[in-house]
Amino acid sequence: MNGIHDLGGMHGMGPIDAETDEPVFHADWERRTFALWTAAFAGGLFNDNESRHAIENVAPAQYLAKSYYEHWLHSLERVLVNKGQLERAELEAAWSKVEEEAA
Amino acid sequence: MPTLPADMVVPVFMGGASARIDADVVAKFKAGDEVIARNLNPAGHTRLPRYLRGKRGTIHKVHGVFGLPDTMAHGGSETPQNVYSVRFTARELWGDDASARDSLYVDMWDDYLDSA
Repeated sequence: MNGIHDLGGMHGMGPIDAETDEPVFHADWERRTFALWTAAFAGGLFNDNESRHAIENVAPAQYLAKSYYEHWLHSLERVLVNKGQLERAELEAAWSKVEEEAA
Repeated sequence: MPTLPADMVVPVFMGGASARIDADVVAKFKAGDEVIARNLNPAGHTRLPRYLRGKRGTIHKVHGVFGLPDTMAHGGSETPQNVYSVRFTARELWGDDASARDSLYVDMWDDYLDSA
């Protein structure tokens, strides 16, 4: 798809800001997201191409604003819903709980 | 979808693994062949970047046979075919202001290429 992910050749994105001594994960939720994705992938629930396409489907403005592992989490949620492994209502309920706890 | 055995998970994620398919598919091109990237605009997934479409390049290396992401991303078959490292000059991609010394090597599937 001709999406925002296909950034090659675009101007105005600024330099790549390389982080000195960058940790593998910046937060615990990133570690958990990686683990969940890996377990679901190893379990044969989806292939890497399906996961990449789900990332491409992040809304363009969100795509640019969100972090790497937020893309991963979005992709995992979308693929698992598409595959019938997760009910959309289940996911929405889980997110509501997170938002309540954060409030 | 194939599963990855538990004892393979750490080696694969730490060291990587090749997705090469052991299939006897004839390569359409060989090193040195001139090619043109097709002007494909699929609504689904592709590994063909927009800035290469319609551009002329040279086959640098034949990587072997791999599944096609465009079909595999949508529940389709592997569509096994050859993948190449294709060299595009910076001037071909970005015009005469680009450096004459620079080139980009991009992995391209057979379905992305026509003979030039």
